Amino acid sequence: MKPESGRIHMTCLVGLVALILGSCTGPRTPDLPVMENGRVEVLRMEGGDWGYPTPFAHYPRGPGGFKMALIFDSLLERDETGLIPWLAESWEISDMGKTYVFTIRKGVIWHDGKPLTPDDVCFSFNYASKHAATWATVFGVIEQVETLGGNRVRVRVNEKGATLLYALGTCRIIPAHVWRGIENPRTYLAPEALIGTGPYRLTDYSQEHGTYRFEAFDRFWGPQPRVRVLEYRPVGEPILAFEKGEIDLTSVPPDLVPRYAGNPEFALVKSPAFWGYRLVFNMEKSPPLKNTRVRQSICLAINRDELVEKIARGAAVPGEAGILPPGHVMYHKPKITYDFDPAQAVRLLQDQGFHVADGQGEITGAPLLDFHLLISTQEVRMAELIKERLGQVGIMVHLISVDGKTRDARVRDGDYQMAIIGHGGWGQDADYLWSRFRENPSLSPSTSGRCGYLNPGLNVLLDKQHVALDPALRAKLVADIQEILAEDLPELALFYTADYTVYRPATYDGWMAMFDHHALSHSKLSYLDRKDGVH
Amino acid sequence: MNRFTKNLHYFSPTGKAGLIILSLFFLMAVFSARLTTHPHDVSSGKALMPPCFDHVLGTDDIGVDLWSQLVYGARISLLVGFLTAGISGCFGALVGMFAGYTGGWMDRFFMRIIDGMMVLPDLPVMIVLAAFFGPGLAQVILVLSLFSWVFTARIVRSRVLVIKQKEYVIYARISGAGPVYLMRKHLFPEVLPLVWVSMIRLAGKAIVAEAGLSFLGLGDPTSRSWGLIIYHATRFPGIYYTRFWTWWLLYPFLALSGMVLALAFVCRDLETLADPRMNQKISGGV
Repeated sequence: MKPESGRIHMTCLVGLVALILGSCTGPRTPDLPVMENGRVEVLRMEGGDWGYPTPFAHYPRGPGGFKMALIFDSLLERDETGLIPWLAESWEISDMGKTYVFTIRKGVIWHDGKPLTPDDVCFSFNYASKHAATWATVFGVIEQVETLGGNRVRVRVNEKGATLLYALGTCRIIPAHVWRGIENPRTYLAPEALIGTGPYRLTDYSQEHGTYRFEAFDRFWGPQPRVRVLEYRPVGEPILAFEKGEIDLTSVPPDLVPRYAGNPEFALVKSPAFWGYRLVFNMEKSPPLKNTRVRQSICLAINRDELVEKIARGAAVPGEAGILPPGHVMYHKPKITYDFDPAQAVRLLQDQGFHVADGQGEITGAPLLDFHLLISTQEVRMAELIKERLGQVGIMVHLISVDGKTRDARVRDGDYQMAIIGHGGWGQDADYLWSRFRENPSLSPSTSGRCGYLNPGLNVLLDKQHVALDPALRAKLVADIQEILAEDLPELALFYTADYTVYRPATYDGWMAMFDHHALSHSKLSYLDRKDGVH
Repeated sequence: MNRFTKNLHYFSPTGKAGLIILSLFFLMAVFSARLTTHPHDVSSGKALMPPCFDHVLGTDDIGVDLWSQLVYGARISLLVGFLTAGISGCFGALVGMFAGYTGGWMDRFFMRIIDGMMVLPDLPVMIVLAAFFGPGLAQVILVLSLFSWVFTARIVRSRVLVIKQKEYVIYARISGAGPVYLMRKHLFPEVLPLVWVSMIRLAGKAIVAEAGLSFLGLGDPTSRSWGLIIYHATRFPGIYYTRFWTWWLLYPFLALSGMVLALAFVCRDLETLADPRMNQKISGGV
């Protein structure tokens, strides 16, 4: 052996040993800045392009919408327990839930220095009624908006609704002097479009690189920002980036929880299971899916516990046939359940006269069930397991893998037979069932995916709960709705993830999760000094 | 057989090792069903089991046996490699012979196309084409073939330009031999060794390119090729901080590296055999 080749072999060997040892060692501690007086100069988080952060141009998913909310305030805000006063100091509900009077906070100024007036609030509601925002909370709801004396605004709605306070309260307030005359808000991307009253201003955005930079607004009316600059930039390997101190917060796969648990340098937070995957059926494109028994067979044939164990590595809750997750305040366990039972799935399909596997891998009977399953590249492994399980009962599945945004668009446009779609918002008010099964499909992935399903009885219940103001009555109605959904299975909740998030408390410790949302980095309250509350 | 044994004599030790490794991979691909006890596309155990008696190389994240995936993945790698090499080698040889023999504007036309394709950065264009055609094994082979024929064509053309000036070819032409006859009887046998070498080299490149496209998520998402196993492993969050990479990532990486190295060793020795100048040296006892 030549000396050179010996050296090469030795170098390779040392490299391999270093790699193995590196994977066995604990997390490294980079030299990172720490908080001073509870404040920090810069926080860095994982980026990616989620659209231009105006209420009309952001991408309809959490990372897009919550960046927009850093700039644009709403009348109410969400903390750990519920809705809190924000731009509205107080509110009154009258006329059996059809009239809302908000008292607008004084001394609030826009990022361009002009004062916020009740007219701006009126304009925002009227504009959002005419031009649906990406998160269209009040589109088609408002009948009349007018200013009253004493900085008050009265909103009359078409019909009473259980969640209208939430919808009105989370509608983004935009400056009339900027948006008046803008007819196509989705394409309005001028710098002025980013003038809000929120605690942060966008100082840099690169769509190509997927980077954002927000800087604290010095004259913000509310709790002072504890973080002066928020930076979002893409990272290749989030865990590595976190350990190197390139980002200050990341989600942790369950296999790595022991790496951080018990280490005082890190804080681990387990999110509520309010982010989930569902299997949606397009009954218009694939008539066999109109058959309830076929959908039930699919549910029986898919092992949701296996998905939790293998895909979510145990950090998830199996999907419920009634759709609402077990952690939801209105969760009701339906009488009908679907434990993994391929034999029962086969029996159901045979009863309906479909070709099914007879347990020996042979196919007997009449027409073959054969579907295309649309997935994003993130869900390939999950789809492979589902394909395998459905194949065992004779249901053939062909995977169509596209990027996430294409999948979202195709599901929204009804261009699929079956699709897997994942999103947050499962912990929000149960009225999202109304949005999902009753309302016209919106831009949001969380309400898309209903095609060809119609149950008049369910619609009656959905409409009733939509306007019910009595909490007890509403809970009963929502429970009945879950029973029907469990029986009909217009879609199948696969599992709800309960992720772990890790951060360094010495670097920053203000993280909080909203009462109905899982992500710590999404709430603007995470970056504000709330010790004195909102005055 | 005697000729093969004689040629084998000219192979270097690394070339012979390459041939042995390649043969093993071929045997693996051909006898996949006999070499595995678990299915390669269906889960047969718990997720991420380390190597054990039942699963000698462990399992992946959905519980599919890794040894079975590697064995069946050899089929895909060899299929992609040699089909791409076959298509592009044959097409490149035909274009090279035709351009070299006819000369004139036809030669210039093909050469400019080849020049254009050679200066294009192949990986970015392949990524765009793969995204355009969509994921799938056939699409991958098509995309790789589109970019691979130019090298063979260029080499073959150069050789044909030399051969067609040789006296026996000129005599044959004077005696009334047509272009097809000349190409079939005189040119093709002369350039065939070069085409073989080129195809072996292309096979190695195609295998790596397929793995690359799969790694970027542009291959067939369910093909179970080696590149795709690596892709899924690297997509697993925080894999480098777990022990999982020591079987899920390492073995397909070693298999891929082994095959590409083997092809490179064989290709190098074949080049030596095919190159007339090198051949003279070998014949001269060097």
